[in-house]
Amino acid sequence: MLKRFSLDNLNLSILLTVCVLTVCGLVAIYSATYSTEAVTAHEKFSKQMVWFAISLIALFFVTYTPIKIFYKHAYTIYAICLFLLILVFLIGKGTGTRRWITLGPVWLQPAEFAKVGALLALAKYLSRDTRNLNNLKELVIALLIILIPFVLVMRQPDLGSALVFLALLLPVLHWAGLSAMVLFVFLAPLISLVCAFNYYSFLVAMIIICVILVFFQRGLTFFLVNFIINIGVGIITPIMWDLLKEYQQNRILTFLGLVQDPHGLGYQVIQSKVAIGSGGFSGKGFLEGTQTHLRFLPEQHTDFVFCVIGEEFGFIGAIILLSLFFFLVTKAIDIAGSVKSKFLSIVTFGAAIIFIFQIFVNIGMTIGIMPVTGLPLPFLSYGGSSLLANFVLTGLILNAARKRFEYL
Amino acid sequence: MQNNGQNLNRFYLALVTIVFLGLIFRLVQLQLYNREKYYTESERNRIRDVIVDAPRGLILDRSGIVLVDNRPTYSISVIPYEFLRSKGTSRLLALILNIDEKVLVKKVKKKKIGNFSPVRVKRNVDFKTVSDIEENLFDLVGVYYHIDSKRFYPSEVKAPHLFGYLGEITSDEITKFRRTGENYRRGDFVGKNGLEVKYEKFLRGEDGVKYIEVDVLGREVRELSELSGSEPKTGKDIYLTIDANIQKYLEDVMVDKKGAAVVLDPRNGDVLAFLSKPDYDPEIFSNPLTPDIWNKLVNHEQKPLYNRASQSLYPPGSTYKIVVAAAGLETDTINLTETVLCTGSYRLGRRPFACWKEEGHGEMNLLNAIQQSCNVYFYHKGLDVGLKNWTDFSHYFGFGSKIGLDFPNESAGLIPNAEYFDQKYGEGKWTRGLILNLSVGQGDLLTTPLQMAYFAMIIGNEGAAYRPHFIKRLVEPGTGKVERFQPNKITITQIQEETYKVLKEGMYLVVNGPKGTGRASWIKGFDVCGKTGTAQNPHGDSHAWFIGFAPKDNPEIALCIMLENGGGGGANAAPIAGGVLRTYLKNKEVVVAQR
Repeated sequence: MLKRFSLDNLNLSILLTVCVLTVCGLVAIYSATYSTEAVTAHEKFSKQMVWFAISLIALFFVTYTPIKIFYKHAYTIYAICLFLLILVFLIGKGTGTRRWITLGPVWLQPAEFAKVGALLALAKYLSRDTRNLNNLKELVIALLIILIPFVLVMRQPDLGSALVFLALLLPVLHWAGLSAMVLFVFLAPLISLVCAFNYYSFLVAMIIICVILVFFQRGLTFFLVNFIINIGVGIITPIMWDLLKEYQQNRILTFLGLVQDPHGLGYQVIQSKVAIGSGGFSGKGFLEGTQTHLRFLPEQHTDFVFCVIGEEFGFIGAIILLSLFFFLVTKAIDIAGSVKSKFLSIVTFGAAIIFIFQIFVNIGMTIGIMPVTGLPLPFLSYGGSSLLANFVLTGLILNAARKRFEYL
Repeated sequence: MQNNGQNLNRFYLALVTIVFLGLIFRLVQLQLYNREKYYTESERNRIRDVIVDAPRGLILDRSGIVLVDNRPTYSISVIPYEFLRSKGTSRLLALILNIDEKVLVKKVKKKKIGNFSPVRVKRNVDFKTVSDIEENLFDLVGVYYHIDSKRFYPSEVKAPHLFGYLGEITSDEITKFRRTGENYRRGDFVGKNGLEVKYEKFLRGEDGVKYIEVDVLGREVRELSELSGSEPKTGKDIYLTIDANIQKYLEDVMVDKKGAAVVLDPRNGDVLAFLSKPDYDPEIFSNPLTPDIWNKLVNHEQKPLYNRASQSLYPPGSTYKIVVAAAGLETDTINLTETVLCTGSYRLGRRPFACWKEEGHGEMNLLNAIQQSCNVYFYHKGLDVGLKNWTDFSHYFGFGSKIGLDFPNESAGLIPNAEYFDQKYGEGKWTRGLILNLSVGQGDLLTTPLQMAYFAMIIGNEGAAYRPHFIKRLVEPGTGKVERFQPNKITITQIQEETYKVLKEGMYLVVNGPKGTGRASWIKGFDVCGKTGTAQNPHGDSHAWFIGFAPKDNPEIALCIMLENGGGGGANAAPIAGGVLRTYLKNKEVVVAQR
């Protein structure tokens, strides 16, 4: 019993990484809220500190809970998360959108916990030995596990968080044994469609798609058909888009939650780029960021927290941050690849995917290569629910790291 | 995992690596390759959020005359980040503002919150200063002027004690407001006294914010339409119960006097006038207050900051005989026919207690004793009533405790009882002589003019008291939404109707009787009732008092006039009361005529 709680099999490097990331977040939150209001200057900082403590406790709890328990109760946890998401519709709070439920002074964002819940449920479903994903019915059920919370979150509306569910789906199915080629053939046009709005991103996407198509070695016909489809999607999409009337475009964008004030969003990205770019190699120094403290971004302590790092700590700060993230994600994938239990492997891999997707979309948004969707940067953005959920995911990774050689 | 695990693993590791390399590539582009461009842009294109102060609500009299208004004024503010970085600016600005450069820099450093929140360095500057700033704007990096508002008083009513004044918020106040969920910023102006502080939450508006783009010198380039700010919301207008005409009359007539006046509408507790003299010009506080002016106000021998109407305490003198009469009638120690012989003084043991009329009043019954304010009668009756009853009846009428006026500065007064005397003089060591003093409103007894006016209302209403209040209604300027305040009625149950009838008859005689002491307040056909008082005190001349109401039946107005060291009540206070009543009647005629 005692051995179970020993630190011997605890992966300290991962634990340390997430703690350092959270501290970076605290520093940035402090800086971002420093000048905003005289009286509330430290309020957000202190709140995040409290959440940090709570999250650490949760992390240890998850790390040392036998994984069987998570396996056994995966569906229950999932059901609770769905219940909370529905509750958001009934009693949810928020301006314009409904994302929070309140427990006294505590505001919870069920979408964050639903990520964990959906991952556990999907992992349990996919880890049955008899599972055959080429059976359409079983595939549909796997899809539903993800799509239900996706739709619920989408309707809040919270596009950013909703996309995390989608992003989780394909890699995890792939990891669980769905043929990579099948996946890719469906995925590629989607990527082309999204990337088609920006010349550069489309180019990059096309190159990547081509490389991967070649990688499958299915002959020239297969390559050409897929290539033409993707190019076609890329060319037609902007044309189709332009054919739409402006109000129709806006309606679609608004439906997607992409836009409240398109002008304002573009403006944010420009300012965000200026902030990060002006940070230069070594940054302007703690609390010295001119853009940060001018409050041009209403969400610098949440979604745009990376701006603060980029401006005040420069390229060096950004690279250190990215290295920490890189270490965390690759380590998690590594663990996922070597852990014996299939359930745990999928969970760990899914956690890594959730992290990398959020990191990429969030930072990408602040440096102008991704659309502004409103997604927190894991461990750094202000917000208790997000921090707690990320620590729970880390706890699951650490749990896997302890039990690499055990079957369920 | 399975055999293909290795491949899968490598594939995703490669994918992750590509993603990170993509991000890093972009960061190199932004932070290393284009750094200069973005840095210049960050220096050039600054966004500044400018707080647009919401105008404070107005204060109006009951008929809508504006008593407290706002007037625009120029202020000079600086952005610390730019201001502190450029050397010449502080020297030039100090020169223009005519203050010491070191003091200026220290002030900015002390008041700044972050580098980009503006710090207001001087309020209420004149137009010449503004044009000097405008002329030198190129050299004044991070300095700008903007419009603030200050209070001004457009009517002839000054009433500084009533309105109070505004002042810059202190950190303690910020913390205090924070606890009640209200957000204030440093540099905000808040009510510091009087109605301004009492109704802060109504008068205060909601500040707006606008975002402007400024150039490298901190000058406004344009207002940003991309970031929508918010419009300031004006505070609510307060319609007072105050009648500007009566208030004005009192301010004029008491202009070189010391004292206080409170006028009430006995039908609902509306305060029609509320005055304390000497006072000061409320606009002093609208301009930057120098320590000099402040010290002068605080140390002035006449104490103009003191609110004499509800805060200062005075012995009420003979006006208090009405309380003794009420107690006597209720406890059957006084009946209407019984007389007391006044020979000019009353001897208790070896000590004589004088009546104000040296030759004496002769045989006095209650009504005559009230009419002529005979001390000897009330010495006798005071002893009969006894200290306990006297104290109880004083409390019934609200003496010795705060009335609960909607106003910050109110005193409870002092109604001494046996324990009080035991404590002061030692148990059993005090004599009944103290009771004699209390019977004629002298001695340790202390009241406020407000309490005396309240008392006059109770007598006039025969037991019905309305809590005096200043606020009639609130009006939201934007929407015109009106919030009304209902009068708060308290009934004094301990005193019988017949008692009130007698007291009112006595007070009627004070003004209308042939030998009444308050004849100076007499008005034909208005049945004025009153009681004068001349309260001796150790600090100088007697205080002159008059309390009263009119008409005798169903009174419409109740009042208390008190002149500190003003001499005899009948000669000095009663005429002012008469003037108030005449003003009231004249108003009423005008209103009736208008209808």
